[in-house]
Amino acid sequence: MILEVRDMFKSFGKKEVLKGASFSAEPGSLVGIVGENGSGKSTLLKIIVGEWRSDRGEVILNGSVGYCPQRPTLFEQLTVKEHFQYFSAAYSLDETRWQNRFKQLTELFGYTRYENERVSHLSGGTQQKLNLSLALFHQPRILILDEPYAGFDWDTYLKFWEHTHYLLTEGCAILVVTHLLSEKDRFDRIYELKNGVLI
Amino acid sequence: MSIKRILISISMVMRMLVRRRIILILLGVIPLVFLSIVELTTSDRILPFRLASLDEEVFINISEKGISFVFFAVSCAGFLVSFIALNLIQRNSAVNRRLIICGYKPQELLISVLFSLLMIILLIAGYIGLLTNIFYEIDHLLSFIVSLALIGFVYGCYGLTIGSLVNRELEGILLIVLLVNIDVGWLQNPLFYADAQNQLIIEMLPAYYPSQAGIISAFTNYSSALALGKSILYGATFLIVSMALFHHKMRLFK
Repeated sequence: MILEVRDMFKSFGKKEVLKGASFSAEPGSLVGIVGENGSGKSTLLKIIVGEWRSDRGEVILNGSVGYCPQRPTLFEQLTVKEHFQYFSAAYSLDETRWQNRFKQLTELFGYTRYENERVSHLSGGTQQKLNLSLALFHQPRILILDEPYAGFDWDTYLKFWEHTHYLLTEGCAILVVTHLLSEKDRFDRIYELKNGVLI
Repeated sequence: MSIKRILISISMVMRMLVRRRIILILLGVIPLVFLSIVELTTSDRILPFRLASLDEEVFINISEKGISFVFFAVSCAGFLVSFIALNLIQRNSAVNRRLIICGYKPQELLISVLFSLLMIILLIAGYIGLLTNIFYEIDHLLSFIVSLALIGFVYGCYGLTIGSLVNRELEGILLIVLLVNIDVGWLQNPLFYADAQNQLIIEMLPAYYPSQAGIISAFTNYSSALALGKSILYGATFLIVSMALFHHKMRLFK
C-alpha cells in the first residue's frame, strides 16, 4: 500500500466533517473521491499532506508526495520560470533535472510562451496549469490533486488525462478529489464522501 | 538547513519586493512628503526636550522644526519597515506553506524573510537619514541613521508579529498605523511627553528608545549607546515572538 488513511476524524467546533473516513491506494492506481461542496474533501486532503491536524486517525504515506491545492497557490509577483526554480529548491532537484522538467511540463500543458510572465498577468487557466505542474514537478510516487482540472480548456483536459495515464503506468498512485466526476471509467476506485465517511 | 535553499528564497523574496509598485511608491513618496510638510508648516521656536533615557534632569533646547524633522523621519522609517514586514510575512502565507509541504523548512523561509527585511531596513534608514539631512543638518548623521535602522528593526519585528497573528492585510495595516501614530507620532513627541502623566507607560512603547537615540545623535554629543542597546533588546523581543508565531503557523502535522 502506498497511501492509507485509517479512521479519520475532524471537527470544526461542533461541526463534524470527517467521522471515520478510511481508504487506501496502491501503486499505479487512480482513486477518485467525490462529494458535495462542503462535504470535507479538501479537509481530508489537507490532513493527508500534513497541512491540518486530524482529531483522530492515521495517514500512512510510502513515498514522495505531489500536492495540487484546489486554488492556484502561487506567488503573484514571480514568473512561471521563477516558480519552477523556487520549487526545485524545495524538492532538492539539481539544475539539469529541474530545467528538463520545466521544459517538459510547460510544453505538455502548452504554456511555454508564458515562462517569463508574472503569475499576476496569467489567465486563471494558465495559473491552474502552473499549479498542477508544481505538483508533478519532482515526479512523485503519490499524487494528490484537489479539483486539478478546474479552468482547463478541452485540449489541456485531455492532455491531463493522457499524462495521468502515463504516470499510472510508471507506478504512481493518484488521488483525485472533485465535486463533479464525468469520466468514471478512468478510475480504479471511486469513493463518495457523505456524512463524514467514505462509501 | 540548506544554504542553497535560503539563497534562492532570498533572491525570490527580494524580486517580489522590488516588483510591488506600491512599495516603491511608498518608499519614494512618504518620506519626501512628510519632511516637506514639516518644512512648510513648523516654526523655529525653541523647545526644551528631556533626554529621559540618559537622565531625568538632562534637557536640551531644540527648534520645533528640528524636533519635528527627527520625529517625522522616525515615524516614516517605523511605518514603512513595519508595512513591508507585514507584507513579507502575511501576503504569501499560503504559498509559503505549500513550499514547506514540498520540502522547505520553516526556518529557511524565515531566515530569507529576515535577511530581506534587514536589507530593506538599511535601505530605508539610509535613504530617510540622508533626506532628513538635506532638510535639516544632523549633527551625527551616521548615528542618526543607526537609530533609524533601530526603529526599523523594532517596528519591522512588530510588523512580522502582526503579520503572523492577523490574516487580512487591512486589519494588519490598521494595527501598524495605529501604533506608529500613537507611539511615535504622539506619545514620544516632546510636546506631549514633557508634561505627560504616567511616563513609564510611554517609556514601555516600542519607539521610546529609538526616538531617544535619534534625538541624542541628531542634536547632542551625548552617547546614544544605552538607548541603542535597549532598542535592540526591545526589537529582539518582538523578533522572538514573531519567529515563534511563524513557526506555529507554518508547522506541518506529519
